[in-house]
Amino acid sequence: MDELQRKKNIRRTTLLVSAVALAFFIGFIMMGVLRS
Amino acid sequence: MTATVVDTHAADHDDHDHGPTKGIKRWLFSTNHKDIGTMYLIFSLIMFFTGGAMAMVIRSELAVPGLQFVHPEFFNQMTTMHALIMVFGAVMPAFVGLANWMIPLMIGAPDMALPRMNNWSFWILPVAFGLLGATLFFPGGAPAGGWTMYPPLVLQTGDAFPFLIFAVHLMGLSSIMGAINVIVTIINMRAPDMTLLKMPMFVWTWLITAYLLIAVMPVLAGAVTMLLTDQFFGTSFFLAAGGGDPVMFQHIFWFFGHPEVYIMILPAFGVVSEIIPTFARKKLFGHDSMVYAASCIAFLSFIVWAHHMFTVGMPLTGQLFFMFATMLIAVPTGVKVFNWVATMWRGSMTFETPMLFSLGFVFLFTIGGFSGLMLAIQPADVQYHDTYFVVAHFHYVLVPGSVFAIMAGAYYWLPKWTGHMYNEKAGKLHFWMSTIFVNLTFFPMHFLGLAGMPRRIPDYSTQFTDFNTIASIGAIGFGLSQLIFVWILLTAKRGEKATDRVWEGSHGLEWTVPSPAPWHTFTTPPKARIASESFE
Repeated sequence: MDELQRKKNIRRTTLLVSAVALAFFIGFIMMGVLRS
Repeated sequence: MTATVVDTHAADHDDHDHGPTKGIKRWLFSTNHKDIGTMYLIFSLIMFFTGGAMAMVIRSELAVPGLQFVHPEFFNQMTTMHALIMVFGAVMPAFVGLANWMIPLMIGAPDMALPRMNNWSFWILPVAFGLLGATLFFPGGAPAGGWTMYPPLVLQTGDAFPFLIFAVHLMGLSSIMGAINVIVTIINMRAPDMTLLKMPMFVWTWLITAYLLIAVMPVLAGAVTMLLTDQFFGTSFFLAAGGGDPVMFQHIFWFFGHPEVYIMILPAFGVVSEIIPTFARKKLFGHDSMVYAASCIAFLSFIVWAHHMFTVGMPLTGQLFFMFATMLIAVPTGVKVFNWVATMWRGSMTFETPMLFSLGFVFLFTIGGFSGLMLAIQPADVQYHDTYFVVAHFHYVLVPGSVFAIMAGAYYWLPKWTGHMYNEKAGKLHFWMSTIFVNLTFFPMHFLGLAGMPRRIPDYSTQFTDFNTIASIGAIGFGLSQLIFVWILLTAKRGEKATDRVWEGSHGLEWTVPSPAPWHTFTTPPKARIASESFE
């Protein structure tokens, strides 16, 4: 795998995992909003 | 065992393009995984002694009935701060330190995938604990509502409250950034022919742990954000008076809290799975089943949270579900314990310090596992809940469990870090003192709990005196024993020169680089191959 492709993959995985973390954060606050 | 070996030339021995910068800048601006790993480990050791000092205050107060040394309010601050510091400041950063040091070496990567973020995720931690520690000097004192931060109690905290929330946010941010780094590194930076199932167990358990962190740390952040808005912005997420539900906080907290337990124990499983094969001189029994068992434990950890709150009142079906789901965790955990024992079976075992700590882990963590199984039984839990039995249970899991595994890992990899063998006699003394005193401290707590002594009280009825005195003597002995470890670390460079492989039975990429590991390693990817046959 060339360096450029590896960098692309690193960026993609980082964004994906960060998005999951953000979704859990917002999702649970939204759950609180809907329940209260 | 799917460990990998390379010929020694594959490791990058002669990379001398640049070394570390000199002075404080080396540490402040470091993007080197080894330096950051070292900083994490030193930070966690400082936090271990800070939290330990608080434990000494707690146990001194509880040595005999009556109020001796501290006010009840300060006692509550000590229990709360001890837990927060040990969980977020000692155990988690210690495993992140081991991950930083060892994951790139084990998978043949030159560094972590996101080195600048790595620097940030470390340096956020001292700020977080600075904020939290500063509350001890506030007029109203530090947070005292327990590390679980249950409302409405925690909302009475006073000036320390926003500091607590901000500190928890920062700790969470640091953990999330660390987890992102671990996942991205393992997914993208492995040596060319190191497939996922060829990865060492420590790397595997950390990958699973990182996914757990990504899923649950934001949940904790969400929960404390809602606490913050309840306190300062007029919302009523958890305030019954405003139509909110305090029990909902408990559900959200434990949705984070139970996987958190596995965040602190899965990397320990990984460390022990590296050490036992080395000193039994056999490959790890059932490597793939270990991977599946760890994944299974991680999955189950998301569906058992309400066993922490059986007494709040929930439908019978809920009680049954959470009880049986919790008991199910014993199956994959049993697979792991069986595999460690099977690895040792007919092995050529020797008992150096890392192996002793690993064996201590297997025996004593299992005691914690069994008492967990007892707590999982809902009708029994109603009796055990909020007693010292619970304190005994989770300390068996976290002290001779997580802490012993961290110690085992530190001794195992110390020669690779320093380039010298540590003092083996002192290491063994450290192990035996720790093992004797840890049992003296926590085993009597089972009896106290079964006899009905509640948690988080600074005074107690006189019938609990004897076991409390024994526990306090044990705690002080355990605390003093840890000074041996500090002495070993301070004299670590005086020992004989370590070889590259360090241990006769060691295997894996990390043992192919020189000892101490050079500042840069694997700048060109190593050629890895399966080494299972070398153990036959």
